[in-house]
Amino acid sequence: MIEYLGQVRAIVWKDLLLEARTRERVVAMGAFAVLTGVLFNYSIDRTVVRPQDIGAGLIWMTIVFGGLLGVGRTFHLEAQDGALQGVLMSPAPKDAVFLAKVLSNFVLLYIVSLMIVAVFMLFFGLELGSSAASLGLVLALGVLGFVALATLFAAVSAGTRMGETLLPILIFPLLIPMIVYGAGATSRLLAGRPGTEVADNIRMLAAFALTAVAAGAVLFRFVVED
Amino acid sequence: MNASELAVTIVPDSGVSSPAVPALEARGLVREYGSVVAVAGIDLALQRGEFLTVFGPNGAGKSSLLGMLAGSLRPTRGEVLLNGATLDFGSVDLRRHIGVLSHQGFLYAQLTVEENLRFYGRLYGLRDLDRRVPERLSHVRLAERASSLVGQLSHGMRQRLALARSLLHDPDVVLLDEPYTGLDPSAAAILRAVLTEVRDGHRSVVMVTHNLREGLALASRVAVQVRGRFAWQGKGDEVDTSDFERLYHRVVEGGP
Amino acid sequence: MSVKGIRLTGTALAVLGLLGLVLVYWLSFFWVSTEVSQGIAQRIFYVHVPAAWTSFLAFGIAAFTSGMYLWLRDERLDRAALAAAEGGMVFATIMLTTGPLWGKIAWGTYWEWDPRLTSTLLLWFIFLGYFMVRTGTENPEKGKRFAAVVAIIGALDIPFIHLSVVWFRTLHPDPVVLKPEQPTLPADMLTLLLVSLAVFTMLFMGLFLLRYALENLRAEAQARSREATA
Repeated sequence: MIEYLGQVRAIVWKDLLLEARTRERVVAMGAFAVLTGVLFNYSIDRTVVRPQDIGAGLIWMTIVFGGLLGVGRTFHLEAQDGALQGVLMSPAPKDAVFLAKVLSNFVLLYIVSLMIVAVFMLFFGLELGSSAASLGLVLALGVLGFVALATLFAAVSAGTRMGETLLPILIFPLLIPMIVYGAGATSRLLAGRPGTEVADNIRMLAAFALTAVAAGAVLFRFVVED
Repeated sequence: MNASELAVTIVPDSGVSSPAVPALEARGLVREYGSVVAVAGIDLALQRGEFLTVFGPNGAGKSSLLGMLAGSLRPTRGEVLLNGATLDFGSVDLRRHIGVLSHQGFLYAQLTVEENLRFYGRLYGLRDLDRRVPERLSHVRLAERASSLVGQLSHGMRQRLALARSLLHDPDVVLLDEPYTGLDPSAAAILRAVLTEVRDGHRSVVMVTHNLREGLALASRVAVQVRGRFAWQGKGDEVDTSDFERLYHRVVEGGP
Repeated sequence: MSVKGIRLTGTALAVLGLLGLVLVYWLSFFWVSTEVSQGIAQRIFYVHVPAAWTSFLAFGIAAFTSGMYLWLRDERLDRAALAAAEGGMVFATIMLTTGPLWGKIAWGTYWEWDPRLTSTLLLWFIFLGYFMVRTGTENPEKGKRFAAVVAIIGALDIPFIHLSVVWFRTLHPDPVVLKPEQPTLPADMLTLLLVSLAVFTMLFMGLFLLRYALENLRAEAQARSREATA
């Protein structure tokens, strides 16, 4: 067990170290967040629609697209030097590799999602009130579920001829629960409702995330075996 | 030279009185990719300390063979045994005893030499990395470059680092896939020196290469793989380089 | 059961299913009473709902056999998953085409996020993903494994999808009050619905078995041609 955790930690640390050195994905996702906010601003007619009404939806859609951008590349760096092969050939169990990937992708996307919320609050005058912690939790659970599915299917699409372009087709139907409960909760919290009102959503998001992580951990080995 | 007289599971004249359990054994290995048959049935048995070099043209299935021996490629049929224990495709424990050097390198270009080794050391659950890593680096003559990013190394240096990585956990079985590819003569000389040290009598090595000279220099056993089978096998010290070149061409063009 | 036996059973079920379908059509036009608010157009209900049910049943079979395939590696399980997925997609398509037609006639709009239609639409796309990964790899063995993973994850997600879509609906009810059926169906409508469900299931099972047998034959033919050329 200790060794298992050590292996997971080693891979997560390696991924975060690589990301810190190259800053490839975090810069791309961060720029994406801000620019998307700008685009959205110009795509809405403020005399007809209040940004506060659709802010939650815009935030979550941006998280999804930004996440696709970042997580889709999760195996790209490894594929370049065949490095993933080396990891898969090692005694590290496949589910450990998967969990490590999910963890490092989660850290990355969670930071970006907080960035997105901050940017959108700034651009569209959204307010949080006292429910920041609840929002933080909602984001965390939603992002976790997303990352688990995206990591698993990034490995799948990397093995197809279409490559990363297949990823959205595969995961968008699966993400509906995350969007519904996540954006639903965010919408309430941004409207000033207390955290207790979104407890049900949080429970569903947690169940969704748990299922995605567990299923991914079990199925990942079938995706990466040769 | 008639190879068919040499049966595959012979115990070589190493002075061992009783037949030991082979360190590495393959029985009836077959690998198919859809309708393409890459490996069409290979048996082999290596004792401890033996060094098998496998030659063969491109497309003969050598990489697939190594993949199956490493436990990372699932055989369509047949099995691989490590010291008598079946290498279950999913089993991770037996992988601790196998070291693989692939022509791909498995290295992270944006990490330093030392960081790469430490990462793999942790994957393999090694404790005494502070001792092992510097030891391995000096073994492959890379000690001075420990803090260099791998992306800045020459190809020859990366090969040596990859070799250090594959030996870090002291494996019983070492599998080398075309290690001499792309190396200039001086880099090849260093590699040969390192591999000679690897050939220390405790490990079993299987090397796939196109380099006839280097391949023969180290081999205690030789095989030529053509179209998924061992078309010819022999003992390393009985083969002369110039003879072998003619033999090789004859075997490859003549068909299995 | 031999391939021949499967084909016979499949043909029998399919023929019975088709005959049953004719019966259902006749009953829904001439026997069952007309629904009060929607009129004649409501009768499409007896095709629309069973089609949905069948597509989800098919998906369940596909997911289950996919899981068994990954575990046991028996090619026949994968072929069963393929046959089920194909059938499921066909019935989902039927449901998705009859739904909007009915909606337009009965309520004046083609689409308004009815939970059942939405879930089936998403299921349809999961089926699409199944086939896209299955045929999208260089190595066919990989494609089968990928497809199996898609099916299993899809099956795990469908309950979440359905719950979320229904919940969303309670938050945003459509101004037009939609009732595909009365809260409690009159006896004759219920009977016909159940009959239709049985008929569709039988029809699907027949087609499924036939497709499965066909896939078995195809695999055998491939194996034989490979031996001949080897």
